[in-house]
Amino acid sequence: MIEIRNLTKIYKLSKKQMNQMKTKKNMKRAASNISLTAKEGEIYGLLGPNGAGKTTTLRCVATLLKPTDGSIEVCGYDTVKEPEKVRSCIGFLTNEIKLDPHFSPRYMFDFYSELHGIDVKTMKERREKLFTYFGITEFQDKKIEELSTGMKQKAAIAVCLAHDPKVVIFDEPTSGLDIVTARHVTDYLKILKEEGKIVIISTHIMSEAEKLCDRIGVIINGQKVIEGTLSDILRETKSADLEDAFFKLYKENNKEEQ
Amino acid sequence: MKGIGTIIRKEFARVFKDPKMCFSLFLLPALIVVGMFALMGYMVDNLSNDVETHVSSVYIQNAPEGLDDYINAGFNEIADITYLSDTDETESVKQGILDGSIDLLVTFPVDFLEEIRAYQKAGDAIPSIVLNYNTTGNYSAVAKSNFESMVLAGLQNSLLAERFGNLDLLTVYQVENNVIVNEDKANGEMMAQLLPYFITFMLFAGAMSLGVDAITGEKERGTMAKLLLTPLKRSQIVCGKLIALSVLSGISALVYAIAMVVSMPVMGKAFGGADLPFSFRVSIVQVLELVAIMLVMVYLYVALVALVSVLARTSKEAQTYVSPLYIAVVAGGMITMFQGGMEKPLYQFFIPVYGNSIAIQNLMTNELTAAQFGASICGTAVLAIIITALIARAFNSEKVMFNA
Repeated sequence: MIEIRNLTKIYKLSKKQMNQMKTKKNMKRAASNISLTAKEGEIYGLLGPNGAGKTTTLRCVATLLKPTDGSIEVCGYDTVKEPEKVRSCIGFLTNEIKLDPHFSPRYMFDFYSELHGIDVKTMKERREKLFTYFGITEFQDKKIEELSTGMKQKAAIAVCLAHDPKVVIFDEPTSGLDIVTARHVTDYLKILKEEGKIVIISTHIMSEAEKLCDRIGVIINGQKVIEGTLSDILRETKSADLEDAFFKLYKENNKEEQ
Repeated sequence: MKGIGTIIRKEFARVFKDPKMCFSLFLLPALIVVGMFALMGYMVDNLSNDVETHVSSVYIQNAPEGLDDYINAGFNEIADITYLSDTDETESVKQGILDGSIDLLVTFPVDFLEEIRAYQKAGDAIPSIVLNYNTTGNYSAVAKSNFESMVLAGLQNSLLAERFGNLDLLTVYQVENNVIVNEDKANGEMMAQLLPYFITFMLFAGAMSLGVDAITGEKERGTMAKLLLTPLKRSQIVCGKLIALSVLSGISALVYAIAMVVSMPVMGKAFGGADLPFSFRVSIVQVLELVAIMLVMVYLYVALVALVSVLARTSKEAQTYVSPLYIAVVAGGMITMFQGGMEKPLYQFFIPVYGNSIAIQNLMTNELTAAQFGASICGTAVLAIIITALIARAFNSEKVMFNA
């Protein structure tokens, strides 16, 4: 289980960043008092526009960032007190985190398996299974820098799952992928769910969220504005589909800001 | 511990599986060193050959009687001589010396021999011979010194013999040089001056090119975060990186060192002889001490480069910060080249970089005491450990690692 309690994350801005963001405040509240729970065997979708705080929230869960306030527990471990244990049970995929371009997918898979303490036999089995599923085998010995975007993403997903993590966090997993590869990825997320994993994805593709997620949380301006199943959200916002619901919520919450 | 080993292996694979990296890190420096020394040797050789085979153009005005005897004793073979009389103008000859077409103009007084023979007592006039030559040209200076030693010295001796009869009357004593020297120290002297500088230069060059890529490069490429997502502690990642970089920089420095030894015969030539200064004896203890000092030095340099690389946002920024550091460190190694052999107080050996340099210098001349050795190791190691702790702290900082 992942339990986020009152997560607040405030960044201090440098002068340069303040100029870039055209603000005079030297603080930026990226996440504000966010609480949510994701359970085994479900796919939880974080929805929000760019800069809403989805990635910040996920990075806090993955121990890359420390919450300014509040706490996060992953599989019973606190992300600040026991970050190593948290990291050993999560697989985290985001666009900014990449595989070393000088190495092959196979080398990277083995390297990260070893760092996660996986024995050689299990590693080989997992590699065989994942590389076959994602069709990586044919280019497994090519350098990553020579691969196409889709191939790179597939390799990144496989490496991210090398240690068979209980928690899978994918930040915009299908961005930049063609429709075939994207479908492959979302299908695999369903397999992971069936295996009883906790899956959290962030996305701004509404159709993807509608089809895939068991529960959805919408984050706007660093705050969670709604949470529930698709039908809960449609009912509460009196909307026909998720896109409408999202726009209603976006307008409401941006008005409040102004 | 297992994780540290995995990271070290990956850093090695990064270098050894990439032919370009291998070339730039190991082969290129060696080629540059050998090439540079070969070129220097060739050029110095060429220069001296050229001066030796050059036939000097010498003008002599008012040559006294009997001068021919000394000129024909050998000087005529290396010089093309033109004789001038008192009435000949010399301005064009002087102009020739200035522009390099003529090497030497010797002007004797008209009645040179008469003046000498007329000398009776102190205070009587002593004739002067004027040597006109150009100090900026190699040929001119050589022609002047050859003329002095091959012609004028003989002429003077014969005139002195004419005046005094027995030349021994003019010799009140002779100087006999009896050199007493510690062979090891004498042989190590030149090496002692050069080695600290070269070691620093070589170790840092390796650390610099590798460290920036392995840390800032990984940050830039977004691969560092992937490493930070593994269950390893940040300190383990730092250790793995630092150990791998130290070993690789060490190997790079070793390649430099081997290249230097290989190219030393040509370099010896460049400094005017292959016998000294590089034939020196070392004992096993000296070698071990040198290795120990080099180990802490490479650790310090790698740590320094790593700290800068962690704090920098881009490789370019890192290179900009590392360059002044490089100059500072090399200067620390170079100070020893310009210091005399004065005894240094023990506390100086604790100063990182500088302390190591003077320790290596003393090591080469067989004067390194155990206390000095220990001090130089401790000073550097303590600083390197402090820097390592700072790097580990930086690795934990989200501001530094994710610009957050």
